[in-house]
Amino acid sequence: MRLELGKIKITDVQFGDTTKVENGTLYVNEQEIVNLILEDEHIKSVKVELAKPGEETRITPVKDVIEPRVKVEGPGGIFPGVINKVTTVGTGRTHVLSGAAVVTCGKIVGFQEGIIDMSGPGAEYTPFSKTYNVCLVIEPVEGLKQHEYEAAARMAGLKAAAFIGKAGLNVQPDEVEVYETKPLLESIQEYPNLPKIGYVYMLQTQGLLHDTYVYGVDAKKIVPTILYPTEVMDGAILSGNCVSACDKNTTYHHQNNPIIHDLYARHGKDLNFVGVIITNENVYLADKERSSNWTAKLCRFLGLDGAIISQEGFGNPDTDLIMNCRKIENEGVKTVIVTDEYAGRDGASQSLADADPKADAVVTGGNANEIIVLPPMKRIIGMLDYTDKIAGGFDGSLRPDGSIEAEIQVITGATNELGFNKMSATTF
Amino acid sequence: MKKIIITNNPLVYENYKDKMEIMYSATYTYLEVLSNARNKIHEGHRLLTHPLSGSVKPNETPYKSVAVTIEKGSLDMESLMIIEESIETAKKFIFGKKTPRWTEKILEDFRLIDFYLIKGAIESMDQFHG
Repeated sequence: MRLELGKIKITDVQFGDTTKVENGTLYVNEQEIVNLILEDEHIKSVKVELAKPGEETRITPVKDVIEPRVKVEGPGGIFPGVINKVTTVGTGRTHVLSGAAVVTCGKIVGFQEGIIDMSGPGAEYTPFSKTYNVCLVIEPVEGLKQHEYEAAARMAGLKAAAFIGKAGLNVQPDEVEVYETKPLLESIQEYPNLPKIGYVYMLQTQGLLHDTYVYGVDAKKIVPTILYPTEVMDGAILSGNCVSACDKNTTYHHQNNPIIHDLYARHGKDLNFVGVIITNENVYLADKERSSNWTAKLCRFLGLDGAIISQEGFGNPDTDLIMNCRKIENEGVKTVIVTDEYAGRDGASQSLADADPKADAVVTGGNANEIIVLPPMKRIIGMLDYTDKIAGGFDGSLRPDGSIEAEIQVITGATNELGFNKMSATTF
Repeated sequence: MKKIIITNNPLVYENYKDKMEIMYSATYTYLEVLSNARNKIHEGHRLLTHPLSGSVKPNETPYKSVAVTIEKGSLDMESLMIIEESIETAKKFIFGKKTPRWTEKILEDFRLIDFYLIKGAIESMDQFHG
């Protein structure tokens, strides 16, 4: 599978009469977006607001972040099985409004989480302070159940992103990146002397507000399977996840998975990146056993020399992570795990809820319990009254002056377990 | 699969009390639900669901539901390891910062989330055994 990713650099966002891209500026017709979202009878109202890097703006509670993309050549469309037909995607050409994002907000549950600050100390912890954001503040109709509200907000974000993405259809990209993965036997033939590396991509799948979708299928119902990495770039994996703001993968994270990008960067040089194995993180322990047995089986079947395993979420996924690591290592395949830590506010506690001596190569996204003070912002997109009741927030975390003292787990993407952030550690 | 649900969530109790064995008290704390599960494991029951189900933090939600087997055998070391690690993790959160005193509306949301987490697992367990 060969995919050309045409990146159209977005350097500003403004409201306009038509939705279009001109000289790097994304113009958005507010009414068109509102009409599109209000097609869903579950949604009472939607407010479209724009947020730019450097502004004194706080967006909260964030549900999902989505990058606008459009399929220009090749089969299928963006978000297959949901917005477009279930056609297998990942080939041809896709245009990306790089630097733009659709951000959905709404208090789906009372403890809804997720903060994006567009400036100040909090901005350093989220990649979405650097993007030009089209924010949708979504209000449900009276009496709507939480799961229906989540589904409506999820669809609203995807519809808006697909609609805005179309503005890039006939725009000349600033750069074109090419990604290619060949069928396994051809790939091994092409680079017979390079180590064969796979990526085990764990998806959060525990139930209400903890779900991920693959080609429109609820991933807790899948058994581990193989994807070409470029399928993910065309929106094959979508977030339906509203909890654990710091280490959930938004749809944007899936579209731009940095592990996939970095493995491609070294593909054909010092390693042979042969493919992606997706797997889930279920509540029932027998499901965890089955899925980790299968990831190990598939790693061996593909003849991998090494695998990178990334986790999503907190707590029970630590067990899936360690099961995957141990069983894949037992098949003679070396592993590196990517996770984050809940090591207490002083960083002194054990970081994960599970461990194994075989997990001896670990990349961490940071300690989610670390404390931060977020100064007041001039403008709030969404609703602030809920921020003192979100994960890592605590009674009194919202101070009278509008500042917030909380753990960094309140910030969207702060300790992302794909490594989509900038935190690192230095030893002296 | 025959199971015992240990819970402090009234929504779980109401939905399953007539269908399966339930060890329920509205006054159990989050940690007490886990320690009751640990006691069951020491008696020889096996853990069926992960005690840290969901990414909602142990000092965030007061509700917890865990399933163990009705059958008893010799001590299952894997279940014991998972419950011990889970209790340690939960303590780290709860002793670090207490669970806030939530409004009834928010408590209702937490009950619902916990209910869906255990419901999904029960459906997975029972699809071939009612």
